[in-house]
Amino acid sequence: MELVVPEDCEIPQAGETVDVEVPEGEYVLWAAREAGVWLPADCQQGWCCRCAGELLSGELDQTDARRYFETDRDAALHLLCTAVPQSDCRIRVCQYEEMLDERAKQELPPGNSKR
Amino acid sequence: MSDEKPHAAGNVDAGDTSERVGMAVLRERGLEPEELREKLLDAIGAEFTTYYYYTNLRMHLAGHEDYKEITEDARLEDRAHFELVAPRVYELGGALPNDIREFADRASCPDADMPVAYETGGFDLENLTAESILEVLLEAERCAIRTWSEICDMTHGVDPRTYDMAQRILQEEIEHEAWFVELLSMERDGEVNPAGHFVRGEPGDAPYSTNNRFNDSA
Repeated sequence: MELVVPEDCEIPQAGETVDVEVPEGEYVLWAAREAGVWLPADCQQGWCCRCAGELLSGELDQTDARRYFETDRDAALHLLCTAVPQSDCRIRVCQYEEMLDERAKQELPPGNSKR
Repeated sequence: MSDEKPHAAGNVDAGDTSERVGMAVLRERGLEPEELREKLLDAIGAEFTTYYYYTNLRMHLAGHEDYKEITEDARLEDRAHFELVAPRVYELGGALPNDIREFADRASCPDADMPVAYETGGFDLENLTAESILEVLLEAERCAIRTWSEICDMTHGVDPRTYDMAQRILQEEIEHEAWFVELLSMERDGEVNPAGHFVRGEPGDAPYSTNNRFNDSA
């Protein structure tokens, strides 16, 4: 899996692209943190959106997320704390604000409460 | 000392009530107070919704008086966490949302709702078990541990006031997890997995978070 870390992401790998091995059936967030890429996250139950990332290529299974919508998938946004790769993936991490914008646009929770 | 700022240093003018030094000092140390405030609102939203949902979970542990009492401790302590941190949101220039739905929507942890279907006429009680309720309780506590750990990381060495609150809450959330690990282990697996604690002195004692009580309801 390849993680594209934007310049404005507040982790040491900002601006880099990092290769991370994800053991079969494991979550992206867990694997990244195990590899020393401390991606942001709060609930780790697929709810709060803090860990959101944009899927640039590949496929992620989001079944374990507690609050995930088809419109998120349509926008290529995923909750990495509960996302299991189904193929080799390329993911832009630290997309919390983008996820909040998308939810607000779709009037889905947390909606405009954080906008 | 300047005549214009007889009691002040920094860039907040004497008597200026539009600025808060309590926020400026965080900014000076690299922590955006607005970002922290929003995170606190999410976290206490979760404490508040948990307080609500635990009421229902506790009610439905009928016949398990020990589980009910322990769930009641966790429920009241989660409310105490909300009470403890709510004033901090205002100190940081924020406010609780006017609409409670908005507050629930932004809660940083999932709804700890009943683990059976709800339809007109009530819950599907035929399929409700103590085990399934204990699983909901355990995962709710785990979410709280993660959230308050993040807030501890964010404030450590920068914002002693918020850090103090967050670490007190974290200590109680870790105790709650231990309680539900013990209860679920025995209920589901017949395994002894001690929490290492005994019951609170009074229901919802909150021995860490009420040491810093803001008022009698906290």
